[in-house]
Amino acid sequence: MVRRASVTGRFFLVYGTAISLVLGVLLAHFSGPSFASSYPLFLPIFGVVGSMGGLTVFTSDRTKGVLEYLIAYGYSPRRLFANVLLTTLVLVSIIVGFGVSVSLGVYFAEGNTVTSTLAISMGVYAVPMTFACAAFASTVGVYWTALSTPRMGINSPVGLIPFIGILPALATVFAIVAATLSGPLSTTTLLLILGSAMGLVAIFVIVLLVSMGRLLRRERFLSPA
Amino acid sequence: MSVGSVTNVPDSSVSAGNGVGVECRSVTSGYLGSRVLHQISFRITEPSIYVVLGPNGAGKTTLFRTLAGILRPYEGEVYIGGEPIDRQSSRDRLHYLTHMDGLPDGLSVREALDFFARAEGAQSRDVERVLDQLEIRDLGAKFPSQLSAGQRKRVSIARVFLRERSIYLLDEPTANLDPKVAREIRELILKLSHEKIVLYSSHNLFEAREIGRYVLVIKSGQISRFDRIENVRGSRYVLGIRVLQPSPALAAYDHEGEYYLRELSGPEEVPAVLRELMAQGVEVREAREMENPLEDLFT
Repeated sequence: MVRRASVTGRFFLVYGTAISLVLGVLLAHFSGPSFASSYPLFLPIFGVVGSMGGLTVFTSDRTKGVLEYLIAYGYSPRRLFANVLLTTLVLVSIIVGFGVSVSLGVYFAEGNTVTSTLAISMGVYAVPMTFACAAFASTVGVYWTALSTPRMGINSPVGLIPFIGILPALATVFAIVAATLSGPLSTTTLLLILGSAMGLVAIFVIVLLVSMGRLLRRERFLSPA
Repeated sequence: MSVGSVTNVPDSSVSAGNGVGVECRSVTSGYLGSRVLHQISFRITEPSIYVVLGPNGAGKTTLFRTLAGILRPYEGEVYIGGEPIDRQSSRDRLHYLTHMDGLPDGLSVREALDFFARAEGAQSRDVERVLDQLEIRDLGAKFPSQLSAGQRKRVSIARVFLRERSIYLLDEPTANLDPKVAREIRELILKLSHEKIVLYSSHNLFEAREIGRYVLVIKSGQISRFDRIENVRGSRYVLGIRVLQPSPALAAYDHEGEYYLRELSGPEEVPAVLRELMAQGVEVREAREMENPLEDLFT
């Protein structure tokens, strides 16, 4: 499915990877130490957009009757959902892998060193949050696709999910900003906010994955045509 | 063959006792709580082609989806080979060809067949075999978007030949196919039916009559008739005769295109009518039944 998602969602994958690379390299080269606080804010956006291939394949398979075929041969809706989730996470790995490794390479080549801010913002926020946002986006996308009649374009789940997928990242940033209003933010508080955000997303995804059989009837996966 | 017990229609059981069959016991099924099939019961164990007929919206596709285990019945049970359909061993006994092409995006024809082969536990040599069997080898590198509707259907049908199974549920397998390909597909399915149970839905009544041995008619979500096709007699029997030269002996006949028409009480009168015409010097080129008795099943 990863290969199909890479082919069907190639525009998303190329766009997400290219922008995360270009922006990462530009920020690492021109903004110096502030790279550590700026690049992590953008990475989840590119990760979500770039990994839409998994959801694209799911939507197309539903419309074209492939899901109906697979269910007839014994694939459960949960297994279909797990495939989408896994594919999304593999695609995110590609985007994050290229973007983070190349931009950090440029950042260090410019003479910058590893700081605690960089370690926390990249290692604790940016990378895990990108995976969390992509998992959140694909979960909402699968449910939304299954519960709605197929439609194409910007008004379809594939068109709107990138905006919804970045909500966990936005909520986390707002929480951090709110926490700083009452005074300087301690590392412990920051880690607590980040851990809570990631934990909530993980619980959301796992609960919807496990409950899929009860929440979505099989006929939701059939093409209405 | 025995024709036995029924629930909502007479004659809804066909059995030859080979042990692998399809059975519906008082099945009520549908979508999201809306009931489409109502208390359907039948049992089939004799290898043959069973044509499923019915007007649009009667429940043919819903029946196939229920038999394939995609839709779970609200009431009643479906058994395949004596086991409930929700068991994987039951699913492994049947092939289901949806009325849609079901070809995955982003894969060439060959890759799509590899995809189906993996899903069904078939081998790559099976893919090679069906590429030749369905004469689609030259389409192997093409993507679904590059295929005509008929070519897509042909590739879609190829997947049911990847692995041999006991029961085939074919939902409009020859829709969108040109007559030559449709005939080839029907021949393949006819060969299958010597050893397999084939449930075959179609809107083409002439095709149904040509290929089917039994007819299962669904109306408003219920089986209204389940019988051998030769037992289905129309309300009227119209003989059409084409001749080499017009003859005064045909003056009393109605005329439709090249055919001279005469209503008879049944096919048993045809030989006498033809003998009579030939005795009067009429050179008969063709004689055929003009109305398909299966049409009456829709009314």
